Amino acid sequence: MTPQPPRLAAWLLTRRIRGEWRDFVVGDLEEEFRARCAVAPGRARRWFWRQAIRALVLPLPPEGHDVVQGRTMSRRDSIVRTLMGDLRAGVRVAYRAPAFSAAVIFVLALGIGANTAIFSIVDAVLLRPLPFQDPARIVRLFHIPPQATFPGMPTFSVSAANFYDWQRRAQSFEGMAIYRFRQFTMTGGDHPESILAGAVGAGFFDLVRARPALGRVFRDDEDQPGREQVVILSDGFWRSHLGGSRDALGRSIMLDGRPYTVVGIMPSRFSIKSWGASGRDLWVPLAYTPEDRAVRDNHNAQVVARLKPGVTIEHARAEMAAISVRLEQEYPQANAGWGATVTGLRELIVGDIRASLVMLLAAVALVLLIACANVANLLFARGLARRKELAIRYAMGAGRRRVFQQLVIEALVLALAGGAVGLLFARLSLAAGAALLAAQVPRADEIAIDARVLLFVAGASVLTGILAGAFPAVRAGQADLTGALKEGGRSDAALGLRTRRLLIVGEVALSLILLMGAGVMVRTLVALRNVDAGFNPRSVLTMRITLPETKYKTAAQQSAFFDEALQRMRAIPGVETAGAIEDLPLARGSQQPIVIDGRAELLPRDQPTVAVRKITPGYLRAIQIPLFRGRDVQDSDVDVMLVSRAAAKLLWGEADPIGHTATLPLQSKTRTLTVIGVIGDVREEGLTTAPVAAVYEYTRERPWSSMALALRTTVDPESIVQPSAAVVRALDPQQPIEETRTMTDLVDETLTSQRFSALALGLFASVAMTLAAVGIYSVLSHIVRGRSREIGIRTALGARTGDVLRLVMYEGMAPTLFGVALGILGAFAFGTLLNRLVFGVSTSDPMTLALVAGLLVGVALIASLLPAYRASRLDPLKVLRIN
Amino acid sequence: MWFKTRPSALGDFEQLVLLGVLRLGPDAYGAAIRQEIHARSSRDVSINAVYTTLDRLERKGFLKSWIGEPTAVRGGRRRKFYALRPSGITALRHSYRALTAMAEGLEHRLEPK
Repeated sequence: MTPQPPRLAAWLLTRRIRGEWRDFVVGDLEEEFRARCAVAPGRARRWFWRQAIRALVLPLPPEGHDVVQGRTMSRRDSIVRTLMGDLRAGVRVAYRAPAFSAAVIFVLALGIGANTAIFSIVDAVLLRPLPFQDPARIVRLFHIPPQATFPGMPTFSVSAANFYDWQRRAQSFEGMAIYRFRQFTMTGGDHPESILAGAVGAGFFDLVRARPALGRVFRDDEDQPGREQVVILSDGFWRSHLGGSRDALGRSIMLDGRPYTVVGIMPSRFSIKSWGASGRDLWVPLAYTPEDRAVRDNHNAQVVARLKPGVTIEHARAEMAAISVRLEQEYPQANAGWGATVTGLRELIVGDIRASLVMLLAAVALVLLIACANVANLLFARGLARRKELAIRYAMGAGRRRVFQQLVIEALVLALAGGAVGLLFARLSLAAGAALLAAQVPRADEIAIDARVLLFVAGASVLTGILAGAFPAVRAGQADLTGALKEGGRSDAALGLRTRRLLIVGEVALSLILLMGAGVMVRTLVALRNVDAGFNPRSVLTMRITLPETKYKTAAQQSAFFDEALQRMRAIPGVETAGAIEDLPLARGSQQPIVIDGRAELLPRDQPTVAVRKITPGYLRAIQIPLFRGRDVQDSDVDVMLVSRAAAKLLWGEADPIGHTATLPLQSKTRTLTVIGVIGDVREEGLTTAPVAAVYEYTRERPWSSMALALRTTVDPESIVQPSAAVVRALDPQQPIEETRTMTDLVDETLTSQRFSALALGLFASVAMTLAAVGIYSVLSHIVRGRSREIGIRTALGARTGDVLRLVMYEGMAPTLFGVALGILGAFAFGTLLNRLVFGVSTSDPMTLALVAGLLVGVALIASLLPAYRASRLDPLKVLRIN
Repeated sequence: MWFKTRPSALGDFEQLVLLGVLRLGPDAYGAAIRQEIHARSSRDVSINAVYTTLDRLERKGFLKSWIGEPTAVRGGRRRKFYALRPSGITALRHSYRALTAMAEGLEHRLEPK
């Protein structure tokens, strides 16, 4: 048997030595090794090792050399060494022309910065998983309400009895938990505080797999009355109210006048604000009584569940639908028409915002494209100026690929610098827009510039560099060598004119798309502001007061507090009138079935429903809802109601509703309300939603503990904030006031989504338009400079100023008009992204389109004026002498 | 060209390698050249150094090369053979002449005693 060389050394050699050298070198060593083995095997092995190590360390000549113009260039050489060399050269080139580089970097930073900012929002909202274990399996369960009575309402809260039936019957879920929100007044601190707590049923924390940072979660036996005085705190609340001390466990906090023992602290990552149940300051057990658990016709609880591994949402949905059908048959009185559905928690949180974010991402991508076109234009101009240099390089034997690589890398260097500055822009703009974002975007608290965003910046920069650099580099490669050398470096405007016209067309088209988007959003805003909401929001101050039911136990006490507070507020100088309502307009609220004139109650799916609001005297006048028939409510009234015109039409048709009666069976099947007036329709559900049929009930003694107060003022409503707070303090120093703001602010808040889109699109569109204008200007200046000789001759031959102006303007306007035409087509396509966001205007609205097209043409005209003016002032003698 | 072409001077190791190729004739390949140099000048050079020099000399046009068939004794690997081109002979001759011319009359001091 032939002796084998040491295996490790041989393996190392075959790994290290590549290509054809492997055969020669390794073969030679093995051959000599075998010859030496015949003499002394041991020494041969040592020799082989020594030789192998030397072969591993010492370089071999590059393989596969092709002899081109006396120089060899291997593939390995071109990738590593020339890349580094080109990078260094690129940095030097950038340094040598600081103004040019700064301009390019700034333009790219705008584009990349805008993209980075939007991407980091998209990343936080759409891409990053929720901070719970296995979040994809967490779902929410809802009722589907009967569509005849709740038209257009896709989901509804769940009734307690139905939940417990679901929990017992459904097989698709690992677990299911019920929760609600409960308003508490916390005392014991410097001032009373109103806190919305999560009231969670058994198994809630286990289900979302949330472990406390300290202490424990609730035990199942604490979910019952009598044992429920335990509380879990959020990390933020623990730090702000208990100083973050470890001995907080076991201490008591006073909620609605009763002590609750702190048993656990949740970690900060659990507190994502975009899910109501996790974004709370504290949690208490739900502790339903057996009677509470049996309520089937009041739908007011939330349900979260975890799918079993491998079970799809569709499967769970099908099972819930089947269970609902059975429950409908078993309890037709309460359940007829009530279905059930399952939705992923994540979908629920980000569903609505996806459309705007995708739209914004598309918009910033357009901005980046425009930036690329502009930079390509600049690089192209410089490429023309460097034609001589490039021609010399070609003449000296540089390959086209080599020059292409160098030009692209020069662009890459600039793009990477632009990316770095863009990252800075993104950080600054995110910080500046933080408040707006928090109001508008779910999961805004999770937005951060993390590794993924950095990766995005790097990717975007490289892509930008290649996009902006490749085009001019290709064109440079097509340059005619001898021509370039012969011309002696004189720039010729005719060169690359077509390329640059194309760039103008592209920039104008993209700008038009963005301008159109911005225009449509602005018109949406205007339309929304001009919507007649049915009331007058000007000069109204609003605030909410929630009375703790442990302190104000009876209806008499609660009514007395609000009556007295409103009475005293009306006496404040500058207050015209004051009233209260359960839920202010535009904010949604209770929707209930209604039975009129003592008729028999129908099954839920056939019973008409109306929006139900509880009001006090003075409310109607405070926000100026017109009264059409009958009279307003007054203090002494018992069980009366006002109906909106839509409600009157829905319930009584053309008949006069005054004097008719109705019951609201969800509240009481015996209490009969008498209609005393017909009032105007109000957009209770939001500005974009048409007014719904609504009834407004009032009675003298009423168990209403949480009311929103509205004060009509003759002075600036902000100036009434202090006096009205003083009124409440005087009545009950421990009573907190929440949500103090003017009605106009409230209306504005409902418009944040549209404002955000309009603002972002407007910003992007103005950047785009500026870039396009700069592009047109620079191209035209270049043309004028290049054609000055021709213009000079024309002038010398008798062309008038107007002729020259026309000549140059034509150069700018022809591609602009072409771009406008192209952009209009693009705007129609982009418009589909906006469909869900616009209101009162079509995404292809011809007037807006004409307006933005006109604006763009105007800007292009201005951008071409200066170069045209310069051309018309050319002195033919001077020009001809120079050339 | 406006300047006169002149064969570039050979380095010390280049001379050894060229002489090795010349000496081995049709059997001049890496391992054989390395052993020849080791045996005659007692310089135990690495195989990489030999091939690097061979490659450089080939690019200068002094050598030509061809690749042989795989053989079992080399673990089924091929050999790369080298042979002198006329310009290689000329260069070697130049070097040899320079050396002998410079050494003329000094033999008694250079030969080992």
